[in-house]
Amino acid sequence: MNALGNYALFVWDFFGALRRHGVPSSRIVAEAYAIGIRSLPILLIISAFVGTNLALQGYNAFKPLGGQRLVGMFVALAGVRELAPTIAAAMVAAKAGTEMASQIAVMRLREQIDALEVMAVNPLAWLVAPRLFGILLVMPALTIIAIFTMTSSAYAVAVFQLGLNGQTFMAFAAEGVDQIDFFYGVVKALLFGVIICTVSCWYGFRAGKGPEGVGRATNGAVVTAAVACVCLNYFVSELLYGGSLP
Amino acid sequence: MSEGPLIRLVDVSKRFGELVVLDGVSLDIPAGQTTAIIGPSGTGKSVLLKHIVGLLDPDAGEVLCFDVDMARASEAERYAVRRRFGMLFQHGALFDSLSVGENVAFPLEHHTSMTAAQQRKRVDEVLAMVELPDTFDRPTTALSGGQRKRVGLARAIVLEPEVVLFDEPNSGLDPLTSDAIDALIGDMKRKLGITFVIISHDIVGTVAVADHIAMLYGGKCIAQGPTAQFVRSEHPMVRRFLQRNLALPDGTGGVAGLPGLG
Repeated sequence: MNALGNYALFVWDFFGALRRHGVPSSRIVAEAYAIGIRSLPILLIISAFVGTNLALQGYNAFKPLGGQRLVGMFVALAGVRELAPTIAAAMVAAKAGTEMASQIAVMRLREQIDALEVMAVNPLAWLVAPRLFGILLVMPALTIIAIFTMTSSAYAVAVFQLGLNGQTFMAFAAEGVDQIDFFYGVVKALLFGVIICTVSCWYGFRAGKGPEGVGRATNGAVVTAAVACVCLNYFVSELLYGGSLP
Repeated sequence: MSEGPLIRLVDVSKRFGELVVLDGVSLDIPAGQTTAIIGPSGTGKSVLLKHIVGLLDPDAGEVLCFDVDMARASEAERYAVRRRFGMLFQHGALFDSLSVGENVAFPLEHHTSMTAAQQRKRVDEVLAMVELPDTFDRPTTALSGGQRKRVGLARAIVLEPEVVLFDEPNSGLDPLTSDAIDALIGDMKRKLGITFVIISHDIVGTVAVADHIAMLYGGKCIAQGPTAQFVRSEHPMVRRFLQRNLALPDGTGGVAGLPGLG
């Protein structure tokens, strides 16, 4: 509870600093590029293989019931609505989140954050704001990329390995999800982006001394951000879809 | 030359948990002069410096900089005071992702409306002052410990501050580089004529450049005064500290051997 209170205070201070000092906008694109490029390769690999397994397990589950055609819908529902945003969040937390935490922890260790303060530059506005806006720029794109990668790999397994009809797969997939699901995916991506950035930066700012402090901050950031995103995903799905989940 | 105190610490106390670091420290830092705060490691010298710039707030007492109470000042007031300070951190605190020139230009970028060309000119000027000409594009990771301190000093003075704070400028340096840094500080003192506050446990270099010295021990300021008066202090801890740092085996060292103090 104490940690949660400290985190809430950090977020409060950050938004206060943002209001007073604004955003160093010139650094947002660079941060977005770095976050996107670092997270993309691993996201592509993980999404592709999650898609293959969705097709495989969906096929195994529906075949005894004679409902192999539903694999497309299963992949679309599970992938678009839940897995793609969650996996994108986990991968960004693992790659970009850990880098945020460790960079800021090292800056703290080397007195660079104190140096910013002494130079009358607010560290929260200078260090956190560009990262937050950068992650908000790329998270929706990464989530959409995860959706398409997952669906494509599931299609490939369903059609070329399991022998399902491609048009049927796509027709059922289109029936399972709507445009609004992509919009909800973007909403989730934005929420997860805020969580990953603020949690990772918070761990960096509160890092203990020495290499052990940096290690703990990095580890704490990825674990907390990933767990928070997965848990939050349930509540957001409940809020967005409620009891209407087919 | 001497005016009223620019920085005044009144009965400042600070503890971290059970550890009392500062215990009622009072200290005046006069304008336009060089004040050294010395003492053994772990006596709260750096903590004291962090109070002066408002990075730490005292549990009790007041820290007045330019008549602003740093503990009670708003963020805007603190930042206004800090813009009048420059600070050399113990290990330079340079930003590794920026080049030497970008590090030095950082305060200019944030607090002036200079064009890129004007910034470049000013940065080259201060880099020349710290004897690192033509290093604008060099990465900071390629610098030695002494060079990092020089770049840190260049960044500290680039905005022409009224006060420059030095946190252990000699720590981690070999004796020759340490001497070079002391000489540079002396040179800066002559050229800039502004207020310097030096935190150090290196008494040799300190005595050579300081106009005033204060000594912290056990969380208290046990002695302070003009350098010539301080080195003659009869306080036993001051004597021990001075003798340990200055006496040489052949008896040629000691405070008396320093220029102007014999």
